[in-house]
Amino acid sequence: MSGSLAASDLSVRYETPHGAVHALRHVDIEAHPGEVIGIVGESGCGKSTLVTALANLLPANARIEGSICYNGVDLAKLDADRQRLLRGDEIALVSQDPMTAFNPVLTIGDQLVDFQHHRKDLGRAQKRSRIAAMLDRVGIADAERRMDCYPHELSGGMRQRVAIAAALLTDPGLLIADEPTTALDVTMEAQIIHLLRELRREYNGIIIVVSHHLGVIAELCDRVYVMYAGEVVEGGEVDAIFHDARHPYTQALLACDPARFHERLERLPTIPGTPPNLTLPPSGCVYAPRCDRAFAPCVSVAPPLVKLSTSHVARCHAVTP
Amino acid sequence: MTPLLAVEDLSVTFARNGLLSRLINPFPLPSFNVIDGVTLSLMPGETLGLVGESGSGKTTLARTILGLVRAAAGRIVFEGREVRTPADFRAMRRRSAMMFQDPVASLSPRLRIGTLLTEPRIIQGVPMPDRRAAARALLALVGLPASFVDRFPHELSGGQARRVGVARALAMKPHLLLADEPTAGLDVSVQGDVLNLIGELQRELGFAAMIVTHNLAMIRHVSDRLAIMYLGRLVETGPTRDVFAAPMHPYTATLIQSEPVPDPRRRSRNPAVTGEIPSVFRRPSGCEFHTRCPIARDRCKTEAPACRPMGADRMVRCHFPLETGGQEREAFSRASANQRGN
Repeated sequence: MSGSLAASDLSVRYETPHGAVHALRHVDIEAHPGEVIGIVGESGCGKSTLVTALANLLPANARIEGSICYNGVDLAKLDADRQRLLRGDEIALVSQDPMTAFNPVLTIGDQLVDFQHHRKDLGRAQKRSRIAAMLDRVGIADAERRMDCYPHELSGGMRQRVAIAAALLTDPGLLIADEPTTALDVTMEAQIIHLLRELRREYNGIIIVVSHHLGVIAELCDRVYVMYAGEVVEGGEVDAIFHDARHPYTQALLACDPARFHERLERLPTIPGTPPNLTLPPSGCVYAPRCDRAFAPCVSVAPPLVKLSTSHVARCHAVTP
Repeated sequence: MTPLLAVEDLSVTFARNGLLSRLINPFPLPSFNVIDGVTLSLMPGETLGLVGESGSGKTTLARTILGLVRAAAGRIVFEGREVRTPADFRAMRRRSAMMFQDPVASLSPRLRIGTLLTEPRIIQGVPMPDRRAAARALLALVGLPASFVDRFPHELSGGQARRVGVARALAMKPHLLLADEPTAGLDVSVQGDVLNLIGELQRELGFAAMIVTHNLAMIRHVSDRLAIMYLGRLVETGPTRDVFAAPMHPYTATLIQSEPVPDPRRRSRNPAVTGEIPSVFRRPSGCEFHTRCPIARDRCKTEAPACRPMGADRMVRCHFPLETGGQEREAFSRASANQRGN
């Protein structure tokens, strides 16, 4: 069963001894079955807070406002037990570090059997044969034997494949991959990108890929949300984001990527300044202090989300449809 | 011009077994070459990029050059003199510096930035009349405010910690800077800052740099020459521009092709290479890349290729190097079937 996901006016703040940190502010995103959604931004922009909110895994000091509608149900308002059931059954998360995603003292096979705990209709032998088929599917040779391995016996790339297999075993309607290739070498990264792209052909749910790597997002996603300082500053089709970026931050971020230049540059482009302190988010545009196109209203008035086309939006005073 | 640093036929061997198992097992397993026959040189003021996947031995090579790991065979010549004894290495380290991979972890958490910056001079016994002024001068060099002398490492951001790392490496005015993954874990907008800073200081102070990295997109802009490593051996060296324009070793070509392109209109079709870098403990016979090479032939499985000079300043270690317009290159592009659209 897979349905659409829509977060509207979603805000998350963390209560800390030094005051509240407004990690996510008024975020609107939507995703439909069969889509691959990319969430891109630099460290501290709130992309991990967003996906942990979607997976209902926020720490106890987080306060959540707004709604996350999945399949017509508001996840933010469910009680803990219903949330947990949903995570096993409908929502799966592939974490950044394939090293710590598994229990080191249990074999891969045993852990993947446990991942299917919600499938009460299957016996252990059936679960194991599903695992073997899924491991084979994600490109692990000799799957039967690999099931008896402990996590440390597998390489980083293989562990990431197993983590993807584990997520898919639950038949999730929503698969979240948080920095799925960051810990891997470039040759393995290309293979995991290829694997995810192949898997989506036969998978009907939503895939959300979070990355700071623009190349990974461009290779994988259909639609992209660009985040900065806890806000979605621009969203649209992947081609519009990479070829017709309108928000000054998106443009600056794209311009910084050295992979875009083939001739040697004497100076690499950068974005001067630092992101704002999220305990006291600015009242105007969050990017105004670093923006070279900022004018008077940017400092005092929060910019509206401007609709540039049916699917392309940007949160900026300077853009016009 | 004589090279600042010349490494000749350098090998590093790690024993497979620890002390305990050697005591128990009277017939120890053979030891393994982590670095095998590496020859390279670095001219004064030049920037060399040392590139490879994790497990290729690039960090070990950098550490061996500074004497932090002992070489089993080969020669290291620094400023025209061979470096052999621990005293030689100590003297060499006075004129060279290393930036370690993790910027925060490489700064002692209980020392203030001012102390950390001047520590190299204390260790080397350089007279310093005013320690705080020296620290402030180093901070100014890397564009950090003087108030940072009293801060602790945990109070810095990743980019600031990296700048402190640069300042500390330059405290002894080195002739050689070895930077191990200087941009790992940094955002793209900050990565450029750190690299621009190293580049500016290099032009100003004239030191040579060796940058160890797996980030091809970055190294293409900051290095003059490249050395590509695979399983402890150099497989290709040459001027950066030439290597990117026409890689000769199939491994170099697959690395360049594997890099994701930030353009959805030019998506790759298939991964250029499958499988993973083998362990040095189970080094494949013949050419070590034959297990993953798209154009490997029978000869590659049995016979290890020798270093072949390819014109001025280029070397490749391959039986069938990809020459421009040659049949190997065509076979390679067919085999890897990874031509990007557009």
